[in-house]
Amino acid sequence: MAERARESFRFRGREYPVRPGEGLLHQLTRAELPILVRSIRYHRPRAPYCGTGICTQCLVRVNGVPNIRSCMIEPHPGDVIETENAWPSSRFDLGGVLDRLFPSGIDTLHGFRRPSWLRPLYYRVIRRLAGFGQPPTPTGPGPTEPASMVEAEVLVIGGGPAGRAAAGRSRGRGVDVLLVDRGPLLAPPSGVRAMPHTFVAFLPPAAPGAPRVFRAVATGPAGQGVLLRARTVIVATGAYDGGLLFPGNDRPGVMTAEGALAVGAGLTTPPFSRALLFGGGERASEILDRLGSSIAAAASPAGFDPETTRRASDLGIPLYPRSLLREARGTRRVREAWLVPRGGGPRTRLEVDSVILAHRRLPHTQLLFQAGATMAWWGSAGAYLPVLDAELATNVPGLFAAGEAAGFPSGIAAEASGIAVGERAVGNPVRLADLPSRPPREGAPELLGYYAELLQSPLARGKWIVCACEDILLDELRDAHERGYVGLEEVKRYTGVGTGLCQGRFCLPDTLLLLSAWEQRPPPEVGYVTQRPPVMPIPLRALAELPEEPL
Amino acid sequence: MTGEPRDEYRIAIVGGGIIGLFTAVHLARAGAGPIAVFEKGFLSSGSSGRNGGGVRQQWEEAATVRLAREAVSAWRRFATEYGYNPFFRQGGYLFLASSPAETAQLDRVCRAVRSEGLPVERLSREEVGSRWPMLDSGSVTGATFLASDGTVYPFPAIWALFEAARRLGVEVWTRTPVSEILRDGGKVTGLLAGGRRVRAAQIVNAAGGWSAEVSALAGLSSANLPTRHEIFATEPMKPFLDPMLIRLRDGLYVSQTMRGELVGGLSVAHPPGLSPGLPTSIQFLRSMSRALLDLFPSLGGLKVLRAWSGYYDDTPDGMPILGEDPRLRGFFHANGLGGHGFMLSPAVSRRVAKSVLGEATDLDPAVFGLGRFLGEDHARTQERLQPG
Repeated sequence: MAERARESFRFRGREYPVRPGEGLLHQLTRAELPILVRSIRYHRPRAPYCGTGICTQCLVRVNGVPNIRSCMIEPHPGDVIETENAWPSSRFDLGGVLDRLFPSGIDTLHGFRRPSWLRPLYYRVIRRLAGFGQPPTPTGPGPTEPASMVEAEVLVIGGGPAGRAAAGRSRGRGVDVLLVDRGPLLAPPSGVRAMPHTFVAFLPPAAPGAPRVFRAVATGPAGQGVLLRARTVIVATGAYDGGLLFPGNDRPGVMTAEGALAVGAGLTTPPFSRALLFGGGERASEILDRLGSSIAAAASPAGFDPETTRRASDLGIPLYPRSLLREARGTRRVREAWLVPRGGGPRTRLEVDSVILAHRRLPHTQLLFQAGATMAWWGSAGAYLPVLDAELATNVPGLFAAGEAAGFPSGIAAEASGIAVGERAVGNPVRLADLPSRPPREGAPELLGYYAELLQSPLARGKWIVCACEDILLDELRDAHERGYVGLEEVKRYTGVGTGLCQGRFCLPDTLLLLSAWEQRPPPEVGYVTQRPPVMPIPLRALAELPEEPL
Repeated sequence: MTGEPRDEYRIAIVGGGIIGLFTAVHLARAGAGPIAVFEKGFLSSGSSGRNGGGVRQQWEEAATVRLAREAVSAWRRFATEYGYNPFFRQGGYLFLASSPAETAQLDRVCRAVRSEGLPVERLSREEVGSRWPMLDSGSVTGATFLASDGTVYPFPAIWALFEAARRLGVEVWTRTPVSEILRDGGKVTGLLAGGRRVRAAQIVNAAGGWSAEVSALAGLSSANLPTRHEIFATEPMKPFLDPMLIRLRDGLYVSQTMRGELVGGLSVAHPPGLSPGLPTSIQFLRSMSRALLDLFPSLGGLKVLRAWSGYYDDTPDGMPILGEDPRLRGFFHANGLGGHGFMLSPAVSRRVAKSVLGEATDLDPAVFGLGRFLGEDHARTQERLQPG
């Protein structure tokens, strides 16, 4: 038994063999998509969604520590993995009755006030609904590595094409360059110091005074605190696949393109075989390329680009251009999806076992906001992006942005922006002719009109989940709007949207568009919320151990 | 509000936080309209949306205990009266001392609180350890606990008062900064709000951390000093901590909210004054996390979700500034509440409303009036129990 425990981990009371080098989510996802956690308020079943450590749909408790994203860790021999917020199990959870008892949600703001003598009891029950897990009861050892401080001349955050290109260029000029990435950093550019599995959670503006020094708070591979110091910072944090608002958008089987790749890529039998692909651009065609045999149909809010059309036709996949995704049905797993042509027309019912969202990429700009870069609304991208000068520098001395985080399209443009910024960051002239261009700042995001149309059509009943981390419903946003609360800041505080564990990455972009439609003014006038640190939740221990700096 | 403010109101309130809105509601109920509230930001953009939600009656001064006791009974009624749950939850306040001097301070607190008839408990380290076993009580030298203290969730209280004020006919103008206070010799005549001239014979300065600036708009010096304090929230958990905890040594305060998050801060000395952007410092994240793990050693894996900061509107003696300015007729102060404006707001706003209406209040001008900082006389009362 002791021998066995050394080479296996325990999940739901069963021993699983540890496969070194393979992530926990992958090991738990073989033939089926696991329901690992129940949602906060309504105990809705949730299955892996984003695959990139952002969402809250694959949270597990590991060795007594709650809310660990199973897509971000590897199990170790002897680990005990438990599901959260469910009894007796995440598949069959008695709490799930709440979802059925309150089909249009629980209004804790206005309800449960009378009679006043019952209020303490109400509050006790409401309090029990909060949180995914019990407080930590750690059973394993803490981080095996001590906290540290690492200094560099140039710090590059993000090891994708842009970050690697920037690091390589800066290093090529003989400067000391540190490249950090949240994941593994295979074969870093030559001469560049690489820190893999290092996540930067907080990048405050450089303190005033000379010499200029940026400090960044990060966690290292063992979860230990790391304080990074650099005179120049290049933010190349990339982008992620955004979500979509429709009833059933949180059902097991609905996932982003990255989520689908995380659970399905490289498997001969991915945990879905009849997926609806949503999106008509480059990302969609990539999914057709890599998961095509598991795709049953493709729909797009707009049209399909020629590449996607060609691939779909090669695979015999039917295309539904200019479609509203009206609903996904199925409780423990998506069973069917409903499409309606934009502008009206008959509904189409598709028997599918999942929905893969590949319709938009959203930039990871939180560090740029934090560091004080001037940000502007980019209509065509549907996101806020840094304002850059003609040579791709932000308005903050020493702070640069490259790649998808700065709004350059993935691939060649992202890499070219990295090359330019890597040169510029070490004071070299940039050949303006070599600079890639970003999409135009003007224009309205495709989804703005899409949502306006979706909200005008007769709404499907049931819960429209805007924020899956905190189970916040469309009706709550509408209530806030109708009561006279204006702008994203007020509505965030009224509903709690944007305050969950994903730090608003999935709900805020949609809330911005919804408010824009309701308030009938463009998104930048609806505003945005201050990007508070940390970028993603960071353990107390890592912060407590941060080294004091020598003064 | 849409459209434009009127040319004249009977009363203009500067600041749409809890004090301004609560005062407006009291005034409107007394039939004192027309009333306007001018808020330069959005609702809850100031300290009313940035505080930790503590409501306590443990103080060193009997005058503060009295205000706080009234506030607690008002918070108990709030959900019934205003249609929103502020989630006032009486989980108690536990003050921890870790030195003989702090223990002596808690003894003074006990005397003041008991003299007002509240059953505060004086606890030993052993009693703290057995009642709250999740706490590492090793460094505790003494403690006080009052079970009727508690916490509110600030936002719903703001929504409730905003809507109540509007139902009563109060105009609440958000995103409308006041840039000038108009006076005619020794009395106020109006203000510039959103660049527009508005007449009002009575003006209430309820601008929290910005109160000193608002007084300066009327050409008045003031004793208020905004100081920036930082705070953070952890990821939510199932309930495990009922009381609000305060450690005197470092000013640590922390409670577990209705949403399951641990929310708290501690004193990190920032230079006084307003700082644009209300930033978060690495120093705070480090010292706050250390302090929390000191008390809860098993929480090392718990994650910090969000950090922010806000202003305390401090005064030299730790007591608020309430009532009419002795130098300018019609200019009323409802400020200087340090970090405790939210919790005391029901009691404070009721009294400010009365004084605006010219009614007698129990506010001793020598304790609460701005005059105590103006003459030769020095403030006689000192409220030293400032953390949390």
